[in-house]
Parts: sequence; structure tokens; C-alpha cells
Amino acid sequence: MIRFNKCEIGYKSVLIRIPELNLIAGNIYALIGANGSGKSTLLNTIINKKSLLGGELFIDSKSHVTFSAKELAQKIAYVDSKFDGVEFLTVEEYISLGRTPYTDAFGRIGEKDNQAILKAIELLNLNSFKDKFTVNLSDGERQLVAIARALAQTTPIIVLDEPTAFLDYGNRIKLIHLLSKIALEEQKCIVFSSHDIDLCLDYKIQMLIVNQQNKTMELCPSDISKKEVLGIGFGIQ
Amino acid sequence: MITKKRNLFLYFVLFLILILSIVGHLFSGQIDISFSDYCDSIFHFDPENTNQLIAREFRIPRLSMAIIAGAGLSISGMLMQTLFNNPLAGPYVLGINSGSSLFVAFTMMTGISFFQSDFGIITSALIGALVFGFIILGFSIFVKSHISLLLIGLMLGSFTGALISVLQTFSSAQELKSFTIWTMGSLQHVQLSQLPIISIIFILGIGLSLFLIKPLNVLVLGEKSSEILGIHIKTIRIATISITAIFAGIITAFCGPIAFVGLAVPNIVRTVFKTQSHGKLIVGNILIGATFLVISDAIIQYLEQWIQLPINAFTSIIGAPLLILIVLKRLK
Repeated sequence: MIRFNKCEIGYKSVLIRIPELNLIAGNIYALIGANGSGKSTLLNTIINKKSLLGGELFIDSKSHVTFSAKELAQKIAYVDSKFDGVEFLTVEEYISLGRTPYTDAFGRIGEKDNQAILKAIELLNLNSFKDKFTVNLSDGERQLVAIARALAQTTPIIVLDEPTAFLDYGNRIKLIHLLSKIALEEQKCIVFSSHDIDLCLDYKIQMLIVNQQNKTMELCPSDISKKEVLGIGFGIQ
Repeated sequence: MITKKRNLFLYFVLFLILILSIVGHLFSGQIDISFSDYCDSIFHFDPENTNQLIAREFRIPRLSMAIIAGAGLSISGMLMQTLFNNPLAGPYVLGINSGSSLFVAFTMMTGISFFQSDFGIITSALIGALVFGFIILGFSIFVKSHISLLLIGLMLGSFTGALISVLQTFSSAQELKSFTIWTMGSLQHVQLSQLPIISIIFILGIGLSLFLIKPLNVLVLGEKSSEILGIHIKTIRIATISITAIFAGIITAFCGPIAFVGLAVPNIVRTVFKTQSHGKLIVGNILIGATFLVISDAIIQYLEQWIQLPINAFTSIIGAPLLILIVLKRLK
């Protein structure tokens, strides 16, 4: 699904090197690393908001720089760490914006778009508040709504930047559980950055750890121990 | 579904109010002109009949201009508010009108006859609006604070005001007079023969803004999110500012600066319709914007037996306190 080939990621200097890595559909990956290790930069590189310093990145075996903005939006959906809501924007209107890469010049919602929106609402159980305004939701509800928008985008890949950062513990567990379920049932490739190492270990989520020492990305097996994670990612022995 | 029915009902009510205010406008002048005179002035015009002449030469163009200016300024305000993600944006406060004024002042005071013609004034007002539109757009990329952008817009206004004062010291009494009258803002300078060209540009502006509905709907999520959803932000910025400048430029050319309509009405529309769907907002802005200016001008027309109130002064009296209210309520 996403294939890295000798990738160098960073701003002016290289923050992360990924010699060879293949992320596949139906799997969920947690991106783990210290502050400033380049997690957000990597995610921004995948969504083509930031160009590679070297190497090549393939989406569906096509180099990702060859995609137009619209084509890329049909492949990758992105969820920010926080969605603050917009005045007078209802949940349903917001979710339907996920259909932007598919609608005509006037943004009219067709039959197929409606199905995708309804499916996203149903999957996340949002029926009870689809007519609410997005500003009137709690942080946890808004994060769910943002994921629903990404689902309505019907992309094979979903990228999330610290989706649990502003949530309480209960909502973190729910969110990680939900993302794992979506990856498996909808056969999507989900990548999210996080500091919730314990939760990821509990849910046996594969981790991509930015190695503190040599700045390479390591794909770790899901039965890795917490001690190893701390050693690789944070240099704690 | 409930909101859909509610909005249809709102459109209907607002349309009725617009019709009523149009009727009010037609019958609020100093000289009583009957309904049949109005009809005759359009369908069986008799130049000998004074009432028909007044209707055709003054009342109908003035009313049409009130509708066009109210609707056009409101739409351009809405476009700017979404583009800058700022409820305080508008063609007047962000200096688009100032740009038009400055360029019109330049051309009026050069004394060259081409620039005194309608075509000359329209062209210079449009160019002025475009130039200042792109200046404020340039600032908006670096200035993220709502209030700071507003301050820059107001400073652009003061700056051009000063430049115009300097220009005025070099101009003749006649040029000075015609420019001063122009800056007061008035809906009565428009002649019947100019209405077709104004209407065409107005309708063209509305037609073009329909193509902005989709990107603007997404743009409320912010620029990064819009880009990730496949929107070409640079194209949208340029298109939005250009359409704003078309509306503001053409209206400023014929009516002079009209303050605060473009700021106040879009805020009222969003509050009334409670939506971020720009298709609905455009219709709302046309209805409420036109009604607002038609009622304002009807009041001015009615007061003319005692005082001559410029439309710009009138809208400022209502608009400035409203701006303060918005700052207090939404941007504490």
C-alpha cells in the first residue's frame, strides 16, 4: 500500500531514514518516537505537504509525487490531532466534506456520496448527533466525527497525527480499539503517531519506532516488550 | 430535514420582506408616483408625463442600484469572510473600497476626459479594487490574527485617505466637487442607460461565485485541511479576491463607497440560516443584502424632505456599532 524506498525525511537536515519499508492494507501502525524525532514530518511527507529529502515513496506502486492533489485525496485521508469545530457547521455537513475529492464543480452530493456518508455515520454510531453543530461537541466526540469524515473519504489509507493527544484515558482506549477494528474490517492501511505506548502494547498494535541512535525507522513485531520500545525510541535503558 | 424546511420558509419570508421593502421604496419619495405611472414608465413611456419621467430616470435606476449594491456588497463580504476565516472581513474595512476611491480620485483629478467617462471610472474603480484586494491578500498570508488584518485594512484606508487629500490640493474646484459628491456615496447617480452594463457585471459576478461554493465550503476547515482534500488554495484565493473586487469595484464606481454593508449582512445571514453551506449563504446574502439597502435608501428618501443624508453615512451609523458588537461577542 505505502512503500518507502531509501527515503530521507526531514526539514533541512535528515530526521528519519527509511531504507526499505512496506505498509500493507488491513494493518494498523503506531508511529512512536521522542518529541522532535520527526513523526509529524513523516506524516506530512506521506500526505505530500512536505517533500522527501531523498529516495522515493510509492502509493499503490505509483510514486506519490506523480499524484494530483485530487488523486492523492482519493488515496489518503488525514486526521489532525485536534478539530476545534466550526461555527454553524453541523456534523453531517462536516462529514460530507470528506466527499470533496469526488463531487462535481458545485460540490453536489450524489447517491454514491450519500452512501459513503451514511456508512461512516453508522460505523461510528454518530446517528444521534449528526444534526448537532460541531462546536457543541466534546473533544472525544469531535475526534470521532473527524474520523468519520476521513472514512467518508473512502480512501485505502488513513493517516492520523496524534489522534489521542487531547482525549481522556477512556476515550483513548475506545479510539485505538476503533481504529484497529476499522483497519481490519474495512481493509484499510492506518498509520497514526502516538505517545500511548502502553495502549499500543495492550492492543498488540505494530509499532514503527524512530530509532533514537541511528535515526532509522524500525518496524517492530507486535509482541515487543515495553523495555525494548523505550530503549530503541527514547534511549532509556 | 427540519432545517431544510426551516430554510425554505426563511427564503420565502425574506423574499416577501424584500418585495414589501421594494414597494415601500417606490412610494417613499417626495413626489407621489402612482403604481400605474410606474407601469406606464416601463411599458408605454410618455416623455411628456413628469411623473413617468421621474419614475424612469430617477426612481427605477435608484431602486435597482440599491438591490444590486446591497446584494453585491454582501456577497463580496461573505467571500472575504470565508477566505480570511474572519468574521470582521469585508470590502470596506479591508480597504478594497479605499483602493477604488484612490484610483477613481487619481483619474477624476487628472482632468483627462477619457477618465471622466463611465468607462474610465468603472475601469479605474475595478483596477483599484483588484490592486488593493491583492495587497490585503498578501498581508493575510503572513498575518494570522483577525484583529491585526482588520487594523492593516483600516490603515490602508487611512493611508489612501491621506493620499487623496494630497491629490485634492492640486485639483480644481470642479474636480474637487465631483469627487467629494462621489465619496459621500449615493444610489441616485446611476442612469437608466447604465443599468444594463451594471446588471450584466452583477449577474456575471453571481455566476462566477457559484463556482466558489465547493471550495469555500471546504475552506471553513482551514487551509491545510482544504489542501489535503484536494483544493488548490492559491487558485481559490486569487479567484475569490477577483470576484470580490468585481462586485466592490463596480458598485463603488457608481455609488461611491458604501460602508459596512459587506461586513454586517454576511454575519446576519450566517446567524439567521445557521449554516456553512455557501450555496444557501449566497441566496441569503442576496435577499438580506438587497432588503437592507433598499430599506436604508427608502428611509433616506423619506427623510429627504428634511435632510439629505448620504447613504454612506447612514450605513456607517448602523454598521459601526454592529462591528463593535461582533468584536465583543465573537472575538473577546
